[in-house]
Amino acid sequence: MLVNVEFYGIPRSRAQVPSASATGVTLGEILQDLAARFPALGETCFHGSLLKPGFVANLRGDRFVSDPNTVLQDGDKLLLLSMDAGG
Amino acid sequence: MNTPGYHGRYLRVDLTTAQASSVAIQPDVLRQFIGGSGLGVYLLLHEGAAVVDPLAVAAPIAFVFSPLVGSPLTTSAKFAVVCKSPLTDRINDSLAGSAFAIAGKRTGYDAILLTGRASKLSVLLIDDEQIVIEPAEELAGLTNRETQAAAGQRYGAEYQVASIGPAGERMIRYATISHDGRHAGRGGAGAVLGAKNIKAIAVRGKQRAAWADPQGLVQFAKELSERSFGPATAKYRELGTASNLLLFNRLNVLPTHNFQNGSFVGAEMISPEQLRVAREQTRSSCAACTIGCEHLYGLSGGGSVRLEYENLFALGPLCGIADSESVLQACRLCDDLGLDTISTGGTIAFAMECAQRGFIDAPWLQFGDGASMLRAIQMVVDHHDPDHPVAEKASVGNGSSCGNIGSLLALGSRRMALVIGQDTIHFAPQVKGLEIPGYDPRGLQMMALGFAVGTRGADHNRSGAYEIDFSEAVDRRDVRPESVELAIETEDKAAVMDSLILCKFLRGVLTDFYQESSEMLRLVTGWNITPYELREVGRRIVNAKKKFNILAGWTPQEDTLPERLLCQTVPEDARARLTPERLRSLITAYNLARGWNAEGWLEV
Ligand code: SF4
Repeated sequence: MLVNVEFYGIPRSRAQVPSASATGVTLGEILQDLAARFPALGETCFHGSLLKPGFVANLRGDRFVSDPNTVLQDGDKLLLLSMDAGG
Repeated sequence: MNTPGYHGRYLRVDLTTAQASSVAIQPDVLRQFIGGSGLGVYLLLHEGAAVVDPLAVAAPIAFVFSPLVGSPLTTSAKFAVVCKSPLTDRINDSLAGSAFAIAGKRTGYDAILLTGRASKLSVLLIDDEQIVIEPAEELAGLTNRETQAAAGQRYGAEYQVASIGPAGERMIRYATISHDGRHAGRGGAGAVLGAKNIKAIAVRGKQRAAWADPQGLVQFAKELSERSFGPATAKYRELGTASNLLLFNRLNVLPTHNFQNGSFVGAEMISPEQLRVAREQTRSSCAACTIGCEHLYGLSGGGSVRLEYENLFALGPLCGIADSESVLQACRLCDDLGLDTISTGGTIAFAMECAQRGFIDAPWLQFGDGASMLRAIQMVVDHHDPDHPVAEKASVGNGSSCGNIGSLLALGSRRMALVIGQDTIHFAPQVKGLEIPGYDPRGLQMMALGFAVGTRGADHNRSGAYEIDFSEAVDRRDVRPESVELAIETEDKAAVMDSLILCKFLRGVLTDFYQESSEMLRLVTGWNITPYELREVGRRIVNAKKKFNILAGWTPQEDTLPERLLCQTVPEDARARLTPERLRSLITAYNLARGWNAEGWLEV
C-alpha cells in the first residue's frame, strides 16, 4: 500500500522535504516506514508507531487521526503536522 | 497585610484634574478575578465603563498586571489593557508581553487606571514616588519606535515606555498600544489612550510583591522552563506561528481575497519556509520567556520586522498579496503607525473588494497590488488622499459623500460598510466590528462558534476553539451542538490564562492546566485554590465580560457571522459550508450550556 505523505511545520523541517511516499497498511506502519527513512523526523515526532504529543495526522485533508491502527487506502494522502494552531 | 503576589491596590489617575489616588482592592476580588483581563473587566464594570463612549473624557482604560508578573515563571511578564473598544463598543482586553509589565508592577500597584483627558499631548510618568503628567507635544506624529527612543533618552533607561503611534493620536479605531515591539493590538486601545491625550506611559519602581513560597516557586519555575524546551513548543521556537500558512492553505481554511477563497496561489512565495531561504532571519522573545516564538525577517532596505501568522495572513493572502517585501513592509508600517494588523488587513481587503465591485471609486486599490496596500495603510492614518477629493471620488453608490478613502478605511470594515450601504455589510469581514482572524470559519466550524459568540468580537485569542477543529473530537466541517462544551472549555481556559497572565503558547507544556495553574497561584499567593475553583474563575470572567456587553447594549443578533460566510461555500471545498441554521443551533446550545437563556441573556 503506497501512501503520499505531506509534511507541515516541524515534520517538514525534520524531513527536509515537503512530501514523500510511504508504505504500510495502517497509520502506525506508515510512521515506522517514515522513521526508518527520515530519522530526524522519527526522533522528533514519533514514538514507535505513535505520534508524539504535539503532532497530529490528517487523512485526505478531512479527518484528524492518531490511532496507529487506522487503516489507509492505496493512494491516500496523509498530512503530518504540529498540533497547536495558535497565532 | 497584602496577599502575596499583589500590592492590593490600583492607581487611579484622573488626567483632567491631574489627581491620582491609590484605591484598595479587596482580597476576595483578587481571588475571584486574579489579575490581567479578569481584574481589568472587574475594574471597568466597577467604573461604569459599559455605558460610556469609549473615546469620551470619562471613559476609563486600565493597564492591569497579575500575581505572576515579576515571578520567575516563564512567559509571565505580560500586562492586559482593558477598556471599552471604540471599534466594537464592547469589552476589549488586549495583552502584550514585555518588560513594561514588570516595571509597571514595581510601581507598587496591581493596575493603573486612567480616566479624564490631559489638556495637551502628554507623557504620563509613574514611579513609586511620584506621578507626573508631562506635556510632550514635540512627540506628536512620532512612530512607536521613535516615541520610545525619545522617551528613553529623556527619562532614562530605567523607565519602560508604552506608547501610541500616529494612529492612536488620531483615534483610529483599531490603533494599538506598543512597547518594545510588542503590541496590545486588538480593539483600538491605542485610540482610547489617544483620546486621553496620552502619547506614552513611562513606568519604573522598586516595589516588589512578596511570594508565598519563594523556594517552591523557583523550583517549579525551573522545571517549567525545562519543559518549555520540549516538543510542544518546537513549532513556535523553530518556525514561529507563520508556519501555519501552508497547512491552512492545504486545508482551504486560509482566508484569501476577503474570504472569497480559502486558499492562495501565492502562499508558497510568502511562507516562512521560503522567506528563510531568501532573507536574513533572527529570533527574539518577550521578556522572561524561554520559548521565544518571535521570528524577524530582514527587509530589502535594511532593518527587520516580526512576522507571525496573523499579520502574514491579513496583509498577504487576505489582500491577495504574494510579494513578500510588500507584506513585510506593511507589517513594519502597521507597527510604526500603531495599527492592528488584522483589522488593517481586513479593512483594506474589504475596501479592495468594494473597489472591484464598484461600491467605492478607488480603481487603484486592487487585490494583489502591494504598492496600493502600502498606500492605503498610510492613508488610514493620514486620513487624506490628495488625488481623490472627498465627495467626487470616494462617493458611495447612492451618490452621498462618505469622505475620502483614508477616512473610510479608518472606520474599520463594519462602520465603512454601513457608510457605503448597498448590503456591503454582508461581506465585511468582521464580527461585532472586529475583523476576523486567519481561520475560515466555514471549514473550522467550532471556531465559527467561537467567533460568533466572542465578547470581544471575532477572536482567536479569547476562544481557542480551532484546537478542537484540528483534532479528532469533531468533524471540522460538520460540527454538532453536542460538542459546544469543548468550545466553552477553551474560552474558560483562555480567560484564566489571560488573568494569570501566561502565554497561550505554554498551554501544550502544561499536562494538567488547572492543576498546574492552581499550584503556580498557591506558590505565589499562598491560596489553596483548587483546580475546580480556578475553573469557576474562568467562567466568572467570561460572565463578567458578557455582563459588560449587555450593559453596553449587546443584543443576540450580533452573535453571528457575516452573511457571506453563512451563504457561500468555500469555492475550493464543497464541504466547507456553514448555514445560518447550523450556526444558530450551535449558538443556542452554547448559551444554554453556559447557563444563560437560549438567546444568550444572563442576569446583570
Ligand atoms: S512564546 Fe512568544 S508570545 Fe509567548 S511569551 Fe514567548 S515570545 Fe512572547
